[in-house]
Amino acid sequence: MLEIKGLTKHFGGLAAVDGLDLSINQGEMVGLIGPNGAGKTTVFNLITGFLRPTKGKIMFDGKDITGRKPHSIAGKGIVRTFQATSLFTDFTVLQNIIAACYLKPKVNFWEAALHMPSSNKKEQHILSRALEIMQFVGLDGVKDMPAGSLPHGHQRILGIAIAIAAEPKLLLIDEPVSGMNAEEVTEAVALIKRMWQRGATILLIEHNMRAAMSLCQRIAVLNFGRKIAEGSPEEIRENKDVIQAYLGASEHAA
Amino acid sequence: MSRRVRLIKPLSYGALIAALFLIPLVIKGPYTLHILIWTGISIILACSLRLILISGQLSLAHGGMMSLGAYTSALLVMKLGLSSWATLLLAGLAAAGLALLIGFPFVKLRGIYFAMVTIFLSQMIILTTEQWRSLTGGGVGILNIPRPDPIVIPGLLNMDFGSKVDFYYFILVLTLVTLLVLYAIEHSRIGLTWLSIQQADFLAESIGINTAKFKVLAFAIGCFFAGVVGGFYSHYIGVVTPRSFDFPFAVYAMVYMVAGGMGRFSGPILGALVLTLIPEFVRGLKEFQPFVFAGVLMVIIFFLPEGLVGLPERLRKLVKGKT
Amino acid sequence: MSTEALAQSILNGLVSGGTYILVALGLTIVLGITRIVQLAHGEVYMLGAYAVYYLCAVAGLNFFLALVLSALLVGGLGIVLERFFFRPFRGQILRALIIAVGLMLFLQNAVLVTAGGTPKATPSPFPGVLNILGVTISWERLLVMLVGFGLVAAVLLLIQRTKVGQAMVAISQDREIAALQGINIDRISSIAMFLGSALAAVAGGLVGAMFSVTPFMGGFALVKGIAVIILGGMGSIPGAIIGGLIIGLIDGIVPPLLTTHMAGIISFGVIILILILRPQGILGHE
Repeated sequence: MLEIKGLTKHFGGLAAVDGLDLSINQGEMVGLIGPNGAGKTTVFNLITGFLRPTKGKIMFDGKDITGRKPHSIAGKGIVRTFQATSLFTDFTVLQNIIAACYLKPKVNFWEAALHMPSSNKKEQHILSRALEIMQFVGLDGVKDMPAGSLPHGHQRILGIAIAIAAEPKLLLIDEPVSGMNAEEVTEAVALIKRMWQRGATILLIEHNMRAAMSLCQRIAVLNFGRKIAEGSPEEIRENKDVIQAYLGASEHAA
Repeated sequence: MSRRVRLIKPLSYGALIAALFLIPLVIKGPYTLHILIWTGISIILACSLRLILISGQLSLAHGGMMSLGAYTSALLVMKLGLSSWATLLLAGLAAAGLALLIGFPFVKLRGIYFAMVTIFLSQMIILTTEQWRSLTGGGVGILNIPRPDPIVIPGLLNMDFGSKVDFYYFILVLTLVTLLVLYAIEHSRIGLTWLSIQQADFLAESIGINTAKFKVLAFAIGCFFAGVVGGFYSHYIGVVTPRSFDFPFAVYAMVYMVAGGMGRFSGPILGALVLTLIPEFVRGLKEFQPFVFAGVLMVIIFFLPEGLVGLPERLRKLVKGKT
Repeated sequence: MSTEALAQSILNGLVSGGTYILVALGLTIVLGITRIVQLAHGEVYMLGAYAVYYLCAVAGLNFFLALVLSALLVGGLGIVLERFFFRPFRGQILRALIIAVGLMLFLQNAVLVTAGGTPKATPSPFPGVLNILGVTISWERLLVMLVGFGLVAAVLLLIQRTKVGQAMVAISQDREIAALQGINIDRISSIAMFLGSALAAVAGGLVGAMFSVTPFMGGFALVKGIAVIILGGMGSIPGAIIGGLIIGLIDGIVPPLLTTHMAGIISFGVIILILILRPQGILGHE
């Protein structure tokens, strides 16, 4: 589904991402891990068009999407979440998801402006979809609360729900459980697993090792912008280079 | 909600509108009518500016857009003999067209910088009207702009725009139609999308919203109405000069909007009403008028952050606090 | 156009450019720190012009002394404005803009009411002209250029070499991080307003000596300042210098060839071009 070849991004003299090759097939849940600053979010930004690659190609469903604008890539079916919680803070939870249903169904300008019956029907459809999504992620209890007033854990779930609403073919989730307590992590992991079981294709960035290992079938490890290992969770756990990378990182931190 | 209660709102609006139509029966003084007409113009400017604001941008180009509309309508009527109804529409389209043309590079700018380029755009429009002497008459401007084409419905209506009353009705209808259109667009999916962009444009982009397109759309629609009202102005006053629409227009539109309250649709309406009428009450003070205006502005901004629309709520809290 | 005429135009352009840079510098310093389009910046400039006029023509002070005094006085006013009118609305762009509008109205009309609307002429500090290689320049304009560029150099040094200058840069880039680093935002904001207003005042005083002083001269300065900042780069001080030079040169060279209005239109075209190619301005930060 997604083919990344030789993806490279330079900032000034520094390579944030260096020659990354990665492919993701339909129905897979692939993890992208690595120490802080390894370039994981940069990869997301490059895939989704928020940054232009210096070199390399990104193919999605056989089409070249390298360097396209983010909204166009979202239209093709790749949607991402953000590491720093990104929500429509003044909207209620329900409004957030309704707003996120922008792509499907597509509402034409005149339809909407003239409040034609077809537009109203679509709005009804969007409303029921939104309620469905909220139930699925477990937020229907707080559907009328302003997004900005939700506790942190719920906010991150809402971020995922917003991405789901755009009906992506490929979902890029950026550190879903960061800042969550143990209970919230368990719920979030269960949710992501449910999504995958329903047939979603997911690329997951995660710092929480246990979550990443339990969810993903395949994991790629980045360090200093380069892929240093790729394989099943068990393989990665034993991999010497991976352990070295994380040790090295914690040495720097210490 | 019982049927009776649900009818209260539309009925009161209906009564209000009916009252507005009946005003010229009571008020005949040309000066007072002029003020009312001016209020209509201000309302359209302030509300259309708010539409642009909803998409997250502050435009200060309204003065220039009005100028563009005014000149377009005047020139099309005088040089091509078109009907003023058509030229009014074309005036709006000219302004919207310019906004579309210039919009895409502009919307890449954020916050105050967008506001700054719009100030600059406005100045450039005015400069062009001064420069293009052969077309626009240069600094002298265009004089003797004809009144709008008469509306004649045999036996019922005969508006030849010889008196201010006819202009009053014209602007009244124009204002009501504008408000209707703005309201409809704002309360549709498009308005929702604009609000999304205003709150988190990266997020909006990531779920497939073409934020640039929507921002330009808001800008163009807002400018359309500025252009139309500019066209009206030219046929009403009869004279347009480059300096007719200088800085104050754009700024005042913004002031009405913020002072009235940006959060609600009715905010700019209230702001335009109050701030257009206040200077009139202090007419007697002549040169101190601007001071009163500035003073009122300061008071509203300092003490009423949500604008005038928030006043009832504030007073209620004040009263509650005392008892 | 003959070489002498061209040289003359370039020289005039540099003189105009100098004043634009001063105004734009002041504006970008204030803009970067307070984050509002200080619409009343033009009025600050105008007040500087009036201050110099009164100090020279009425009090009979030496021109340079008047400039310095005017800068100090208007700079002080800037501090007051920041403290009481802009600081309460830090972060609220729209409301701060309206306050600026209110100030603009107030200042313009205060001057109109007290000093009257007729243009005043500040007595020229050095009458007479200088002739170099066939190019004529009045001493006055030479002075403007020298003072202008001298001040610009001083400001550059200030920004780059002093702690205060660096603090200003830090705040304009990221307010929160600057605060975390222990920078006193209130104090630096006051200094920035002082500096920005003083620069505008000097520009006003210089322009008043070259042309005339009216209550409404601020509008022109503001628009030029905005144009320079957009062209040269938002948030960039070297950008203000380059932008000011470009626009100044356009204003110097184009009018003799075409008309004054065409100069404005050409400037606009250049700015639109830059916006399309490089939206953050020539030297702007992304």
